[in-house]
Amino acid sequence: MRIMKNLQNFLLDQDYYIDIFNNCLHVYYYMEMVSLSDKQIELKLKEFTLVIEGENLLVSAMDNHEILVKGIINNVRFVR
Amino acid sequence: MKHYVLIRINTNKKSKVILKLNKINVDIRNVRYEDKAIILEVLSEDLKRIKKYLLSEKVEIIGDTGVYEAKRVIKNNMQLIVSVIFGLLVFLVLSNVVVKVNVVHQSSEIRQLLSDALEERGVKPLTFKKSYQEYEDVITDIKNAYKDKIEWLEIDVQGMVINVRVEERIINEDKQEDANCHIVAAKSGVIRSILTEKGVAMVRLNDFVKKDDILINGEIMLNEEVKNNVCAKGEVYAEVWYKVGVSLPLDYVEEEYTKKMRFNFMVKDKNEEYVILKSRVKEKEVKNVLLFKLFNLEFYLQKEYEVRRVNKTYTEEEALNKAKELAYEKMAIKSNKQTDKIHEKYLKKNINNGNLDIDMFIAIEEQIGVKKYYSISESDTDVE
Repeated sequence: MRIMKNLQNFLLDQDYYIDIFNNCLHVYYYMEMVSLSDKQIELKLKEFTLVIEGENLLVSAMDNHEILVKGIINNVRFVR
Repeated sequence: MKHYVLIRINTNKKSKVILKLNKINVDIRNVRYEDKAIILEVLSEDLKRIKKYLLSEKVEIIGDTGVYEAKRVIKNNMQLIVSVIFGLLVFLVLSNVVVKVNVVHQSSEIRQLLSDALEERGVKPLTFKKSYQEYEDVITDIKNAYKDKIEWLEIDVQGMVINVRVEERIINEDKQEDANCHIVAAKSGVIRSILTEKGVAMVRLNDFVKKDDILINGEIMLNEEVKNNVCAKGEVYAEVWYKVGVSLPLDYVEEEYTKKMRFNFMVKDKNEEYVILKSRVKEKEVKNVLLFKLFNLEFYLQKEYEVRRVNKTYTEEEALNKAKELAYEKMAIKSNKQTDKIHEKYLKKNINNGNLDIDMFIAIEEQIGVKKYYSISESDTDVE
């Protein structure tokens, strides 16, 4: 999957990717994790802050640029 | 390959820990949340940093991942794995070993004959089993070697035992026995002894006979009338003559053993021989000692004896004796029989370009009688 993402990133040259699934959310190229709780996660991206709200939110995997959040996602907001 | 380790962080403040890990740029994956702990996979190189920054939490390694986990499991269970592999090998070896060869036949002579023939061809106890094709080859080989004794042969492999079933060939010789025959001369010569068992001797001692002359007649005559016909039987020895020519070089190379001997190993398959170590002896004579056989491969211990080649020259007397030996060898092949020498004479003896050339006349005594079948109505037929 990462190969595909890298390829897409290379071809489309985007600053970030956000994939939303039924009960997980995958963010590619975030800059910083601002806050983390089981009800809200705030991720700082290049031009805005992404606020994920829900229940039982958990970080399943994470590295410098990429994060996978699992849980019941109720709301995803862009705060500029 | 990245080495991820599985760690447990005992904490009540899971979000804080994750945030802290994020701050110090630690890659994490497969995060599982437990009641009072988080279990996650981190890079082994990040472990030091994690322990440094999470001072208030207890961080413990609980396992490896991927290949490293497999390696750890193998290392921890090495004894068991080695035992299983060894057990399998022993099982494999034992299930391919022959412990007994049973030859099933009433006659002990046939059983012994076949046991020897099988042993010569590598079918013997405490050796590895052969493939179906190899057994077929052995059967064909034995059948060809003992055409007159073996009618049918079967090799049946049952576990570690080989049962060999055989049918003896019974040749009905009644017809030949009933047939009429003379004993005739196979070669020209002077009769030295006659032993007649059946038939009428037609020659006397010191008679000269030519090839195909009747020596013992199968026709029993009385008053110039044939009274009976039998198959003549007997042995007729005659003095026959051979002329043999031999050329022997006077210079020859003799190999002398030095006391130097080196070991080597050799693996032999059906067609090729592979020497394992580089030979440390230049001029050598090699003797092979079979160590063991594994499937189609044979492993040998080689003893390389160093030899020194020395150029020598025969004296005239030595050369003559050697040439005579060669002449007799040559004649034995020619006459194809063990014979008694009566007398010998050199016809020619000269040394030419370092070679000794001799022509010999040798007279020997040998059995010259052979059967020649005939029918009463017709004349001569086959010669045996």
